[in-house]
Amino acid sequence: MRMLIFATSALLTVTAGTAAKAHAFLDHAEPRVGSTVPTAPRELSLSFTQNLEPAFSSVEVSDANGTRVDQGKPKISASVMRVSLKPLSPGTYRVRWQVLSVDTHTTEGSFTFHVGR
Amino acid sequence: MSRYMPLSFALASTIALASTSDAFAHCFVGARFFPATLATDDPCVADEMSLPTVSWSKTADMPPASEWDISGELSKRITENFGVSIGETWAQIRQPDGSVTAGFQNFETAFQYQLLKDRSHELALMAGVVVEWGNTGATNSGLGTSYSLVTPTLYVGKGFGELPDTVAWARPFAVTGQFGYQIPTSSFDFSQSVFIPQQLVYGASLQYSMPYLKSEVIDLQLPDFFNHLIPIVEVSLTTPVANNFGNPYTTTGTVNPGVIWVGSYFQVGLEAQIPINRESGSGVGVLGQLHLYLDDMFPTTVGQPLFGGTSAAPRKLTF
Repeated sequence: MRMLIFATSALLTVTAGTAAKAHAFLDHAEPRVGSTVPTAPRELSLSFTQNLEPAFSSVEVSDANGTRVDQGKPKISASVMRVSLKPLSPGTYRVRWQVLSVDTHTTEGSFTFHVGR
Repeated sequence: MSRYMPLSFALASTIALASTSDAFAHCFVGARFFPATLATDDPCVADEMSLPTVSWSKTADMPPASEWDISGELSKRITENFGVSIGETWAQIRQPDGSVTAGFQNFETAFQYQLLKDRSHELALMAGVVVEWGNTGATNSGLGTSYSLVTPTLYVGKGFGELPDTVAWARPFAVTGQFGYQIPTSSFDFSQSVFIPQQLVYGASLQYSMPYLKSEVIDLQLPDFFNHLIPIVEVSLTTPVANNFGNPYTTTGTVNPGVIWVGSYFQVGLEAQIPINRESGSGVGVLGQLHLYLDDMFPTTVGQPLFGGTSAAPRKLTF
């Protein structure tokens, strides 16, 4: 136990003043994860729990055939990433994202949303 | 000078020299996050600290004694895939007649290597050797032993994210397991005149991740508190398999239903401990833990592997 206390003390000493940042989790999306929207969205918005590094964060949206339906480069501001969408017909779309939070932690994920049914 | 001082100094020095690296950190495997489990170990090397872990239970004695265990564990990545953990437990056993035995159990270390992190299959494999060092605890009171215990162990974790859309609700499920073979450094305990058995030490967890449900399957717009929960059932078992002359080869252990709340920098877990048989304890115990994600709390210092990190710029992320 003495060693554990000593090591913990050393750890806290060394790290004193270090800014705390963490993995970027997906906080919410618009269209929402797993949701069905009656009309085709013009844009996908992903909000994360941490600020992102724009150069190393990306997103793609594809239809049921695997065809990309996002267009243009994602726009990233602080913890929010947005990407424009091509006109979507009714169907299921998959979003795949990978982001790097400002402290170099990477996270990734994917989900679907549905249009018009 | 304490016998721990040289090792402590070395540890503190290496922490101070921590290099920079690209940090995946605690147990992320693709979209899956495996939380630190309380009764067993998760399948990833990491920079993390469990302080404290507290348990209360009643022993299998007749009449039973009540036991408090308070432990701490510090885990540190030496390289991206190799980590070392140190841990210590203070125990107090109160007999029905009021007499109390208290002291430290043997000092414990674990040396672990990450064999695999398969992001697309949410699969993690880790191998390790756990050593409980003899003569480092309260041997006079029986809480420590004069011999060491060496346990080669394999750890596994698997998420169910590949399940088809028809059972999408089950994708947040994941299982973890650990399987170890414990070998004592002595075959006979002369202080208690008993053989020291070789044992299988194994366990598993079944968990359902509400964060995974929200971010990967469906956002039910639940109150935020619930989106941080991971309901879990752990099983922790021990079975003597050799050198157990004169004793029954009975499996002992507990089944632990509970829940873990996962935050950005720490998690809090609480579980009931239900003995699987009379030899495992008397009545339901309680196990609680505060667990700190050092890699998220201190991403540029302690949250980095000590050596061999990828200090270059982060890689361009590709699908």
